[in-house]
Amino acid sequence: MTPFLQAIGIDKTYPGGVHANQGIDLSVARSTVHAVVGENGAGKSTLMKILFGVEQPNAGEIRLEGNPIVLPSPRAAIAAGIGMVFQHFSLVPSFTVAENVVLGGEPRAGLKLDRKKASDTVRELAERFRLPVDVDVPVEQLPVGQQQRVEILKALYRDARLLILDEPTAVLAPQEVVELFAAVRSLTSQGRTILFIAHKLPEVLEISDTISVMRGGKMVGTVAAKDATEKSLARMMVGRDVALKINRAAPGIPHTHLCRISDLTVKNDHGLNAVSDVNLILRTGEIVGIAGVEGNGQSELFDAIGGLRPIASGSVELGKTDITHISVLERRAAGMANIPEDRIATGSAGGATVAENIVATELTDTRFVRHGLLDLKSIRAHAVKLIEKFSVRVQGPESAIGTLSGGNMQKVVVARELSSEPSLLLVSHPTRGVDLGATEFIWQNIAKARDAGAAVLLTSADLSEILALADRMIVLYRGRIVAAFVNSEEVTPEVLGSYMLGFAEQSAEERNAALA
Amino acid sequence: MTQGRLILSETGRIVMAAIFALAVTLVIIFFASKTPWATFETFVTSPLSSKRTIGIWIDDSVKLALAGLAFSLVFQARQFALGVQGQVYIGGLFATLVAFSPLGTTWIALPAGILAAMIGGAVIGFIPGYAKSKLGANEIVSSLMLNYIAYDVCNYVLRVYLASLESGLTTSASFPPQSIYPAFIPRTRVDFGIVVALATTLVVWFLLYRTAWGLKLRLTGHNARFAAYSGIRSSFIMVSAMTAAGAIGGLLGAVFVQGTAYGKLSIGFEAGMAFEGILITIVARNRPLAIPFVALGYGYLRQGAALMNYRADVPAEVIGIVQGIVILLVASSFTVPGKAMLARLMGNRTAASRATS
Repeated sequence: MTPFLQAIGIDKTYPGGVHANQGIDLSVARSTVHAVVGENGAGKSTLMKILFGVEQPNAGEIRLEGNPIVLPSPRAAIAAGIGMVFQHFSLVPSFTVAENVVLGGEPRAGLKLDRKKASDTVRELAERFRLPVDVDVPVEQLPVGQQQRVEILKALYRDARLLILDEPTAVLAPQEVVELFAAVRSLTSQGRTILFIAHKLPEVLEISDTISVMRGGKMVGTVAAKDATEKSLARMMVGRDVALKINRAAPGIPHTHLCRISDLTVKNDHGLNAVSDVNLILRTGEIVGIAGVEGNGQSELFDAIGGLRPIASGSVELGKTDITHISVLERRAAGMANIPEDRIATGSAGGATVAENIVATELTDTRFVRHGLLDLKSIRAHAVKLIEKFSVRVQGPESAIGTLSGGNMQKVVVARELSSEPSLLLVSHPTRGVDLGATEFIWQNIAKARDAGAAVLLTSADLSEILALADRMIVLYRGRIVAAFVNSEEVTPEVLGSYMLGFAEQSAEERNAALA
Repeated sequence: MTQGRLILSETGRIVMAAIFALAVTLVIIFFASKTPWATFETFVTSPLSSKRTIGIWIDDSVKLALAGLAFSLVFQARQFALGVQGQVYIGGLFATLVAFSPLGTTWIALPAGILAAMIGGAVIGFIPGYAKSKLGANEIVSSLMLNYIAYDVCNYVLRVYLASLESGLTTSASFPPQSIYPAFIPRTRVDFGIVVALATTLVVWFLLYRTAWGLKLRLTGHNARFAAYSGIRSSFIMVSAMTAAGAIGGLLGAVFVQGTAYGKLSIGFEAGMAFEGILITIVARNRPLAIPFVALGYGYLRQGAALMNYRADVPAEVIGIVQGIVILLVASSFTVPGKAMLARLMGNRTAASRATS
């Protein structure tokens, strides 16, 4: 049987000289879920962009149902029946679900949008493919998992027969992943084909029929999911065995109270309570993980402690210093460091050089600035040292940080924050969109900071990350702590998940036992 | 990309844009002129035709460069304060007041006038910055409104207190000679303004790339959220950048009135030149060291167009169109679709895909 989609000998060299795809062959069977896995920079995204018409290959051919096609633009890809859901959604927040879905292909009543028809069509589509969503609600009021459904509906509304999903689970809670997978199965059973980009291997194994592995711009191999294991895939991806295992804090080290968060309440951008009455003590040499579905107050909590958002009431003490209302600069001087959730929006200045990004938090340090003048030599030397220590792949400290791959950019951010040897380290989603090799490295360095005596507050959308790193865990639901655990074998993603979705709440005694 | 290759590719882009501008100009001249080739020749060569026209070209470039430098500071901090025009008028007024004060006939006349102008400009620059940081006022609106206020304050003081009767109330009396720049080449406009522009270029470069303040300013411009996260007081940076840019705008005012071209205060002396600084700094990508070169190049085209008006059969309106197209072409070649378009016209597909990636 002819494969639904075939890519033959796809080759792509970017003008900068990066050979992102080298003679890639890919063959996707109809009505299957085909996963493409690989580290960051392996060339997955480039290949997908070529299949969706965003990028043009230098050589090679794409065949759809056996017929060669040319995809000069996403519009052509959509016309050919290919849809793509990117990691970053492109939705109009103030428009309703139905309006977003039909945007660009609206049913009309005269010159006006036929709202009723739009709603009905979208509702019908959602039911047919098991993507339940309220079609008349503005998109901005929906959680991320449902926004993703809207993106999928957008592609289906344009009659996509092949749907490319770019790391769709990166932003979802475990239960939402289950729902997404149910929808994916219903799509394939109705004849649609799914191309699934991912690097969380357990999920890939669960949902896919076929798995293709890419490394360094080449296709390493394609295997049937039933024949693959997590370990075999990881070895194919990285080219060596990967140990994603972090030692817990050694027992017997005295953990002294370092940071006391008392009755903390923080407002969100709309003036509503995003974090309510949170009490938490962070101890030296210990990692506390915060689990929660995105949008349950984690961002606001971290921003408030980091000094990027005012604290409405309550207090935060770091050592003997009350840091509740002091500036970011003073907090950093008191020993705080912050690995932010978004390395591009918050953690770096894309147009500035790597060296400038590294020194940005140290501009009061006389090593780098004297009498208001920059010591370019020592700034450069400091950057070179960190680049080497963290094996950042970059041409040199003068390269703009925006040109680095996600993993390398994150390494720069982590290197900068850890270089100040913080006593309190805030860490949000440290390995989001980061490849396995870099993840291993970043985890080890966070553990190193912990062993050096730092109190670490960690949050991640990836529960396995929290379970791997944290000594204690709390669950935030609607801005409140609903559960707290000491990390142990009994705490599983499913246990955390039921608290994260608000199905269960611990009693105050249970909570306090783990919070003390 | 290395610094050297970056400079090369940027220079190449500017040259390409200039060539396109010339080509489009040629087409328009063909429609508007009876002797198109002669007219085009006038456009291209006339700025070099005499010592006097060269002097005007250089003098214009000095002023364009200073305006560009003022804008580059605020644009690097990504503040769209457009108040250079107002700063020029207030700076010009303050320099004039010094020139007609007892100081105006002493050796200190020039430095004192420049200092007064810079302080005046700095105040005009500071106001929108302060209003933005304390009141959340949009700096585009407030700086543009301040331009009107400054312009009319300058005119008011000129008409009521300074105007000389012979001039029909449009200019002041001439400054005392101690308050006018020495001309480096007699009977041309090439004067001390060149030194001011070059020194300012170096100072702005030094501030931006060698001081902690400049690094903070650039980081704030690249990503204000990152700056806040790093512990940079971005509102201070914002206000101080606008104030410093205001001082340069004021300095430009002094260069106008103290220069040999004027040597007095007159109504509307700035003639819209301040805003052309926006074009200069956009083309120079806000890089202070590139600004003098861009100012010279643009100043040349501008001068050629103006002379075409006097010396050929092309009416002034056509000149305006040509200038507009030149600006549009040069500026649009720096946008992403512009780059792609340029690359496609060149038949260079790889560059096109780079521009869209």
